[in-house]
Amino acid sequence: MSVKNWLKERFPIDYNKFIEINENIFIKEPIPNHMKKWFYCTGATPLILLSLQIVTGILLTFYFVPSPEMAYESVRHITEDVRLGFWIRGLHRWGSNMMIITLLLHMTRVFFTRAYQKPRELNWIIGVVLFLLTLAFSFTGYSLTYNQLSYWATTVGTNMFKQVPFIGHWALVFLRGGEEVTANTLTRFFTIHVGLLPPLILLFVAVHIIILRIHGVSEPEGFEKGHYAFYPHHFYKIIIVTLFLLAFLSTLTVILPPGLGTPANPTVTPFHIKPEWYFFPTYRFLKLVPLSVGIYATAAFLVVMTFWPFIEPLLAKTNESRRRWAFSVGGLTLLITVALTIWETVVL
Amino acid sequence: MAQEEQKQSRRKFLFSLGIIGVIIIAVVTFARDMLLYLFPPKKEKKFHKYLVGKRGEIAVGKAKEIKIGKTPVYVVHLEKEYKVFSGICTHLGCIIRWEEDKGRFFCPCHKGIFDKTGKVIGGPPPRPLDQFRVEEEGDLVFMYVKNKTRGPWA
Repeated sequence: MSVKNWLKERFPIDYNKFIEINENIFIKEPIPNHMKKWFYCTGATPLILLSLQIVTGILLTFYFVPSPEMAYESVRHITEDVRLGFWIRGLHRWGSNMMIITLLLHMTRVFFTRAYQKPRELNWIIGVVLFLLTLAFSFTGYSLTYNQLSYWATTVGTNMFKQVPFIGHWALVFLRGGEEVTANTLTRFFTIHVGLLPPLILLFVAVHIIILRIHGVSEPEGFEKGHYAFYPHHFYKIIIVTLFLLAFLSTLTVILPPGLGTPANPTVTPFHIKPEWYFFPTYRFLKLVPLSVGIYATAAFLVVMTFWPFIEPLLAKTNESRRRWAFSVGGLTLLITVALTIWETVVL
Repeated sequence: MAQEEQKQSRRKFLFSLGIIGVIIIAVVTFARDMLLYLFPPKKEKKFHKYLVGKRGEIAVGKAKEIKIGKTPVYVVHLEKEYKVFSGICTHLGCIIRWEEDKGRFFCPCHKGIFDKTGKVIGGPPPRPLDQFRVEEEGDLVFMYVKNKTRGPWA
């Protein structure tokens, strides 16, 4: 008996139907013509990076030890002793940075082509949730290296949760595993980073893609109507992006390997302290305004951003003026974010 | 016959209500216990008496850093009295440092500045530095500071 028949007997599914479904869902997925432009393919890139993060992340857990005594030391061990450890860690570190960059590009593109309009509002909201989950990944992952900067970023970051009305104190105790940053905090961040967030982000990615597939990719104006099949054109495009990312991230790792910093010291806050670049706007903003203003303004911004697809129609009736609103709000957000980031980068 | 049916259905209803009730109680209790596992109990704050030093040891207008466990406290000699401040910034919990030449406390995280009486004189901190009780007994100065047990989980 052939292997195929042997398997078919024990796993009795309609093989032809399976191929048919596969063809309809993947191979012949209709891709609109505008997607031939690279600029419109920023959605798949974070997904490729996420897969890469999962692989490198699992590899890192083979050596990483989440305890105050061992965390820094095990990261040093991975970077300096383990065979090709610096490469895996570098891929993971640069991959996380690249994921945020590509997500920002993807969100900017979706916002300015106004692809979030009815009936795709929910997918924009899920997209925002995915972005926030990625930031949660970055924050918890960054804390695990347990050097001075990451330790104090954890202290400051978790303290910010305290300002949330009503549940603030509970959130703080939940995240820290007590009132202060201790060994509990490190194990919690580790569990959240490797156990809680991955299934959550995969779930949201699945829903994001399912909604996208049901509605089809939204088509911006000014392109010739029409579709082409996912395979082979788009399939190979994704392969090219993947290969490029692997080469690019490896190059970054070799040229700019992530450092170790100095081991965490809970008794001294270093004089020059800065979070990762993607938190620069919030960080600069927090320095400028009183704490409660900072927290509430950030929260308000998040709420408006999340529900923008529902807010926009309330602002104006005609499509033209809605577009003007979106472009002004989006442009202003971009301007302020970039300005605050540059300010924080230049000024110590 | 009709009455009997009604009776039966009432009994059935109560029976399912009971079952649903029991299941809800079980789920809520289970969830509650899991949450209790995740949230460590709040410890009562205990204050411990520490010796700061002799009365004249710290010059007027100067501060002395004393480490209690992991976090430092600062003893400041003001003109009429001694004050003990927590070394934790009231903004977002970084450790402040005493700037001798400027006679002030500075937090490097978000550039919060406190004067030697603990008042906010610059930056985003929402309130003055936390204070601890000071007692002078004869020639000696004591402070009552939160007890810090050393260990990885505290």
